Amino acid sequence: MKHLSLFACLLLCALPSLRAQPSFSGPMPSREVIADPAERRKAYHARLNEVIDWVAGDTKYRTDDPANFDIAEVIARLIRRQDVEGCSRRVIELMRQPGTGPFWMFPTVCLAYTGRDLLSPEAQASIRAAWRTSRQIRGDTENHFVMYYVSLYLMNELYPDDAGDQWYTGLSSAENRAEAKAYLTHWMDLATTVGQGEFNPTHYIGEYAIPLLFLKAWARDPEMSKRGHIMLDWLFAELAETSLQGVLRGPSARTDEGSVIERWNGMVSHFSWLLFGNTPPPAAYAIWGVYFSFAGTAYELPEVIYRIAVDRNGDYEHRDHKRTRRRWRFSDVEWAPIYKTSYMRTDYAVGSYQGGLADPIQTHVWDVTWAEPDPRGKHNTMFSLHPHASGRVMQTYFATYPEPMVNAVTFEGKPSYNSPDKVMGCSPYEQVFQSLDTVIALYDIARGERFPQINGFFSKDLKDVTEDASGWIFARGGNAYLAYRPLAPYRWIPYLHFNSGWAKQRRDLGGRLLVSEHLKNGTIVQAASVSEFASFEAFQAAMRALPLTFTLDPVPSVKLKTLRGKTVSFTYGKPPVLDGKPVNYAAWKLFESPHLNAELHSRRLVITHGSLRRTLDAAALTLTDGPAGAP
Amino acid sequence: MLSHVRSFSWWCLIVAGLLPLSRAAAVPPLDFFICATLNRNYVVGSKIVTTNGLFQRDPAQGWAHLGYNDTTLTGVAFDPRDRRVFYTSALNGCWRTLDGGQTWQITTGWGITEGRDVAVDPNAPDHVYLAFVNGVAVSTDRGRTWTRREKGLPDRGKYTQAIEVDRTRQGRVLAGCETGIHLTRDGGQRWRRVLMTRGTVNDLQQSWHDPKIWVAVTDRDGAWASQDQGDTWKQFPTVPTDHALYNIAMDPTQPQRLVIGSWGHGVLTTEDGGKTWQSRNLGLPAPAQVWRVGIEPATGRLLASVVGQTLFASDDFGRTWTREALDGSRVNAFITVPRINAPAVGKK
Repeated sequence: MKHLSLFACLLLCALPSLRAQPSFSGPMPSREVIADPAERRKAYHARLNEVIDWVAGDTKYRTDDPANFDIAEVIARLIRRQDVEGCSRRVIELMRQPGTGPFWMFPTVCLAYTGRDLLSPEAQASIRAAWRTSRQIRGDTENHFVMYYVSLYLMNELYPDDAGDQWYTGLSSAENRAEAKAYLTHWMDLATTVGQGEFNPTHYIGEYAIPLLFLKAWARDPEMSKRGHIMLDWLFAELAETSLQGVLRGPSARTDEGSVIERWNGMVSHFSWLLFGNTPPPAAYAIWGVYFSFAGTAYELPEVIYRIAVDRNGDYEHRDHKRTRRRWRFSDVEWAPIYKTSYMRTDYAVGSYQGGLADPIQTHVWDVTWAEPDPRGKHNTMFSLHPHASGRVMQTYFATYPEPMVNAVTFEGKPSYNSPDKVMGCSPYEQVFQSLDTVIALYDIARGERFPQINGFFSKDLKDVTEDASGWIFARGGNAYLAYRPLAPYRWIPYLHFNSGWAKQRRDLGGRLLVSEHLKNGTIVQAASVSEFASFEAFQAAMRALPLTFTLDPVPSVKLKTLRGKTVSFTYGKPPVLDGKPVNYAAWKLFESPHLNAELHSRRLVITHGSLRRTLDAAALTLTDGPAGAP
Repeated sequence: MLSHVRSFSWWCLIVAGLLPLSRAAAVPPLDFFICATLNRNYVVGSKIVTTNGLFQRDPAQGWAHLGYNDTTLTGVAFDPRDRRVFYTSALNGCWRTLDGGQTWQITTGWGITEGRDVAVDPNAPDHVYLAFVNGVAVSTDRGRTWTRREKGLPDRGKYTQAIEVDRTRQGRVLAGCETGIHLTRDGGQRWRRVLMTRGTVNDLQQSWHDPKIWVAVTDRDGAWASQDQGDTWKQFPTVPTDHALYNIAMDPTQPQRLVIGSWGHGVLTTEDGGKTWQSRNLGLPAPAQVWRVGIEPATGRLLASVVGQTLFASDDFGRTWTREALDGSRVNAFITVPRINAPAVGKK
């Protein structure tokens, strides 16, 4: 049986850890490519095992008082067969006060499946009863819905024949399963035809990956298990493609300020560590990520995805198509298209989408980020934004009134939203174009806007920041040279950071903001590798020599020949023109790169690396491996 | 450019007869409920630590909780034949109980979510209408199944915040949407817009005294009244339009009294049928960010839910205020319904 083999695998791995300290505080992991599949699998299982060790107590991860165990701690101990009777007693206590909503549902599903052959009948009955008596809230985001419906589906497979009076929904097991399957199929169709809504999330990747893994691991219906598998590969292939040294780069539909400035510092790095092994896991996000490890042996990362993440042969440009969060009001479309570009090099990455509103609060639109030998604590990024905050945007995406939510969200995990000096968020007044490692961001901010300025982020980790008489600001970040051109006068202020979503106070972590208080505005950023120039001065000279003209009235407009020899004309409100040709966003594919290719609406993703090829077909529900070049 | 703005002098002629006492009908005995969230700063995923949802004013002047604990309740509607049958609009869509809240069923699937309001047709009590973020859904079998009935609503702009059934005619329903008020005469088969607005219509109410009279409030266009059952609408000229108005209540005890709740304006009252309006915030915490106002049907007592504070009460229609129960509450709806043994006249 599937669940027994899972336990057997985990038990085999349950050897005393030889690590001097957990990976989240240990030295940087080796970035050597592990060519041997068996060794790769062994290393992956060791990481899964380490996570379970964290939670099960080897490192006193949270508490060693059984009376205070949370669901994760109970599960870890069940996997380790530690105090199973105590676990049963604790489950009964925990189920006396069940939570509401997907963040309670999916851990409880994990507990139910992990404990189905271990927990006492009374403990299992307490879980079952909680799903009858508690009131579960479906939520209002895509990740909520995915967690909710995977959880509902799996619990109703575990108790497949119960009547409606045995479920909080009032619906029978079959009815619950049918609804859950319909939603999950709908969501997968959307994601594989026009792209994810919550694209490239720095934290919410867990909210997708964990329930999808549960679906793959535990769904009895082979179709649903296969769907989970396909979507996991889909998700991780994109993570591999848009990461550099295990750190996700470029735009994100939903992130937070910690991840925006310290790109490594997100849940997503926990997954990079688990799957690719090439970056350390952030300790804070292990709280969430542990649930993946509880069922992690049910998944094996395909080599082609692993290779994309860790085995790079050169620079590449990647384009993909995504969509905005669902708009309830003030929009002609339910989901607007997102056209993303990523340019990945050894020393740095550049990523962007075309600007405008993606998610109302937590979007990051573009950046240039550089590689760091150890990314922990490094603010390895440069970008600008218009700090937009408005009740109208809130009403576009939420069932709310114009006034309350703008301030309310600052007490609900998004403390910076209503701050003029914030560094996260998208704006209806920002338009962006990227050509390889050149980004042009133009701003035409409406009169009356509450925060009539743009903010450019200048990290504490930049070196040799030089305000040149030419108007360029030059700097070095790691092994990247950076040139930042503000198009309007500016001043400097210290960057003050909310160090958690619930923080009330701000801290000076170093770094500063370039604040330009002009409605018509713009930023140009060009990056290059240190190795491309004889000196920093040579890079500066090359930048000064680039033909550049711009105007701000009546709307911002830039003409530039980039360091890569591309001629770019970009005027706010008009399609960008690259080497004389207007950029045709209508022709944008779902994925287009050396590694990932999919036609829009195709539901079929081809993943390639060297001689490796894997095809995910979400329509035919197949995963096919074959040599590169195969049809 | 909106075409609905009328001159003040012309309006005064109309408003003079807006709520005439002589036309006031006898009001049946009414019961009073609220949908309230007491769990401050609840977000999906956080623990629910208080009791939330539906409360009824009990004879001892307390608030008795009914049904299930849900922070997301926005409305409730009762079957006029059987008080044990009622429906709630909530984040999950629409829940239904057939046994007075002992057991529940979620009646809407993933395609109908974030319910904003719910109404039962008193002349066809099996027919239930749900306003939600993406339109209007109708059930003709007591919530067992739902159909989206949106013909005549705009393709985009269907966000529906309020829905009310005309208690005088089966299938005659008004919906407050993103772009105005829409009316159906056939149970939602076809809708037509009877008022165009620049922002969402946040509330609709039918007078207890004269069913021809309806009132509405909006995000950006102030407050409105209709004297012909919602077919045509006129703006209250002295009600401000610079802030969103969240809800409006009509006093079952005195037909000339109305009250508006607003985040930006607090409490606005009229005691002359809408000719003049007064700000009644003295005694409320400043700024008076009012989420909802309501009027207890038995007493005419005015209630105001102030965001982040509590429920406040006034026995002199807003001139003075006292703190009520439900500290920390946010009331999402005040609901007045005919007492179950009274003639069935529907919700509110």
